[in-house]
Amino acid sequence: MVTSDLEMDALASDSRKVIQHEGFCILVCNTGGVHYAIENRCTHQDTSLDEGRIRNGFIACPLHGVRFDLKTGQPRGDLTRIPVQTFAVKQTGDRLLVQMHKADPHNEATT
Amino acid sequence: MLKPGEARAPGHTYQEAIAKDASQPPEAFLDYSYEFLGDQDIPYTHYTSHDFAQSEMEHLWPRVWQMACREEHIPEPGDYQVYDIGHLSAIVTRTESMQIKAYVNACMHRGTALKPPGDNGYCQNFRCPFHGWVYSLDGELLELPEDWDFPHVGAGTHSLREILVDTWAGFVFVNFDREAESLTEFLGVLPEHFRDFDIADRTIETHVCKRLPVNWKAAEEAFMEAYHVKETHAGGRDFSEPVTTYDVYPKNVNRFIHTVGSVNPRMAVPPSEQELMRALWGRRGPAEGDCPIVPEGATARDVYAEVIKKSLGAQYDMDFSHYSTAQTLDSIEYFLFPNFFIFPGLSLPMVYRFRPDPKDPDYSFFDLYFLRPTDSAKLQSPPPEPLMLDVQDSYTLAEGLGFLGAVYDQDTDNMAAQTRGFKTCAKGGQTLGNYQEVRIRHLHQRIKEYVEN
Repeated sequence: MVTSDLEMDALASDSRKVIQHEGFCILVCNTGGVHYAIENRCTHQDTSLDEGRIRNGFIACPLHGVRFDLKTGQPRGDLTRIPVQTFAVKQTGDRLLVQMHKADPHNEATT
Repeated sequence: MLKPGEARAPGHTYQEAIAKDASQPPEAFLDYSYEFLGDQDIPYTHYTSHDFAQSEMEHLWPRVWQMACREEHIPEPGDYQVYDIGHLSAIVTRTESMQIKAYVNACMHRGTALKPPGDNGYCQNFRCPFHGWVYSLDGELLELPEDWDFPHVGAGTHSLREILVDTWAGFVFVNFDREAESLTEFLGVLPEHFRDFDIADRTIETHVCKRLPVNWKAAEEAFMEAYHVKETHAGGRDFSEPVTTYDVYPKNVNRFIHTVGSVNPRMAVPPSEQELMRALWGRRGPAEGDCPIVPEGATARDVYAEVIKKSLGAQYDMDFSHYSTAQTLDSIEYFLFPNFFIFPGLSLPMVYRFRPDPKDPDYSFFDLYFLRPTDSAKLQSPPPEPLMLDVQDSYTLAEGLGFLGAVYDQDTDNMAAQTRGFKTCAKGGQTLGNYQEVRIRHLHQRIKEYVEN
């Protein structure tokens, strides 16, 4: 599914913003001057990640503490092996382009 | 006729060597505390036997203080670090009141581990991923889903089990035995010997955790003596042979300190101070420009120490002028039983932690940290993620280790061979030198006291 890219203002250093876009809840953050964008949903037990602490390029889920690499989406530890979806962010001056074009919204499934 | 343990290498002692330095070394460096601890072989079964490993797991590890992390791993409330030793696991955390606490890493409902092995992260509270029992950062049972079904459960009986935790020099130590002696008592002479160092103000610059193909004790032993240096690190050459002191302190501390850049008294024709200077230049730490000329009457050691203090001072924006030559250059290694090594020196700022692999006594885990001095008043960066290396991986993959990466490979290359040899050697045990390998004997003496008690 092809979706439109997201354009937005750059964020202040060490801040974050949650944006609804094309069926995704996206968490955009600026940590140490670098912007990252990930889906705002923990792949472990489906919680919003936006209140998680960000340190060393990782965000920690506030519920059980699973940490995801903001760059690759890969989780650490063994609570989940499913990466969180990441989106490339390009910055031009004060503007960001969050690239969504290869994204697919997740299908809801219950086990 | 000398009694066993009284013999020493020809030439001067370490203490005599550093007494010639231009700067006064710390008092503790001049201390002699060797004790003859016997000369019986150490049985190989203490390394290879599953029963012995099990005995250590039952009687040793649950009862000793162990370094779980640095304070900088958990700077803010809700930060946590998991420390695993064998089948035991602890969560170390910072509470809302900035207290450090440690808990057994298991839900009080059906025992699920609350956090994965080795995990480091942040959470607002400890929430079991199985049924959602929630504990505060203070360990108190806060939420019990469907509590109508648990009239027999409450915060009084089902809060997290706290274990002992305390800090020294920025390190967080835990002890699973709630009746254990205090950390201060356990540390013995360490705080006094570290009076002239600012270890609490150091911060982790590099952290590598490697799985080693040898029992945890043999892994530690590879770093307890400088006897191996000439063969393992210098291809048998005499020049690098250091002058070393070996000392044992009650009950849990021992050390070696060896010179860097002093004349080896065993050489038939000793090098000149300028030749020593050329050998040192660029070997440790930064070296820019031309090799300094050692003035008449001065030593290469003292000249090089000044260079190191200035260059590291510029690199870290700190003043190291109060460090003596010995503190700056020498390889100063203290051991705290059972698995913690710390090098307080300026140019060799390492920390080691060894842990058994609970699945196989022939393997162990080695956490290697480089601590860098830091000005605590300035902004500190969080500690780096550990680089995980498996048995076959080279330490040279860890950029932060610099030239020491290849040196650690040399140390660990011997280990698989030692494990194989333990099993084929007909003699039955390791033979130890009375002086240079006394720290190994001290380690086994302490283990015996725990295992047989």
